[in-house]
Amino acid sequence: MLESLDLDLVLDALASVLLVIGGLMSLAAGIGLVRLPDLHSRMHAATKPQVLGLLSLLLAAAITWRAWEWVPIVILAWGLQLLTAPVSAHVVGRSGYRTKHMRRDLLTHDELASAVERISKDQPPERR
Amino acid sequence: MLEIAVHITQVLLALGAAGAVYRVYKGPSVLDRVISLDVMLIIVASMMIVDMVVNDHQDFILFVVVTAVIGFLGAVAIARYVVVRSPEEVAEETAEQDPFPEPPTSPVLPGVLGENEPETPHDPVSTPAMPGIDDKEDESTSWFSALTRSGFTPRPLDENDAAEEEAVDSEPAESDSAGSDSTESDSTVPKKQEDRDA
Repeated sequence: MLESLDLDLVLDALASVLLVIGGLMSLAAGIGLVRLPDLHSRMHAATKPQVLGLLSLLLAAAITWRAWEWVPIVILAWGLQLLTAPVSAHVVGRSGYRTKHMRRDLLTHDELASAVERISKDQPPERR
Repeated sequence: MLEIAVHITQVLLALGAAGAVYRVYKGPSVLDRVISLDVMLIIVASMMIVDMVVNDHQDFILFVVVTAVIGFLGAVAIARYVVVRSPEEVAEETAEQDPFPEPPTSPVLPGVLGENEPETPHDPVSTPAMPGIDDKEDESTSWFSALTRSGFTPRPLDENDAAEEEAVDSEPAESDSAGSDSTESDSTVPKKQEDRDA
């Protein structure tokens, strides 16, 4: 009896810690969205609650439910998020680069710049 | 203990949602709003998870699963939309922000940060309204030519590329329209963009 009580206590503590971690991730996303200077750095902040925050919150939920049958659904929810978050981030970042919603002076290295320059020199003048 | 953690988590989630709302209100571009709305969607799903933890039920788990797909579809659709509309938008923005644009034929020495706006299209007549629908272009490089048509060439920031670029600039063979346009807008990119977000 005492052992099960201790296990409950430990699991509740773990769930509490995971809940607070998930909340801190979304707080970090909010602060980053407010403070960071341009689109791509804001995207860096915005992906925090999408993967790690959701993972910790879902783990906290699964721990609190104490039921193994919800674990596959939790894994499905997190796996879908893990699959789709990079795709949407890639698309948003790509269109941000193309439409110049970025601050080039904040970059340390722009690997696309040389490719864009090379191809734009290959363009025939009548296409411009 | 779990109740205290739940209250703390709700406060943190609310603060994160407030930051996202501020960015949706303030955000200078559509893409900022898109990522902020993604964050808000995730925060709503997180609120539902917290509610499921408190009340010990599993009613909202389907929404959490569906959230991933919804955010993904919204971001992709709006990002495609932004790509098609971008040249006019950028032209409008730069026209608003730069009241005294220099004529596009003015020579700008490489290395000198000019005050003119390099992102303004050099020849607005020849800039097509919708470069995404341009026919017979290679799909993988069509956005390069769209960038080029808008008079914008990214400036390489590291030293190797800069040296390379100066070597290219001094070549007389590059004095056709493509070379002169790109070198003209090279060195003037980073100065002006500080003003945009300020």
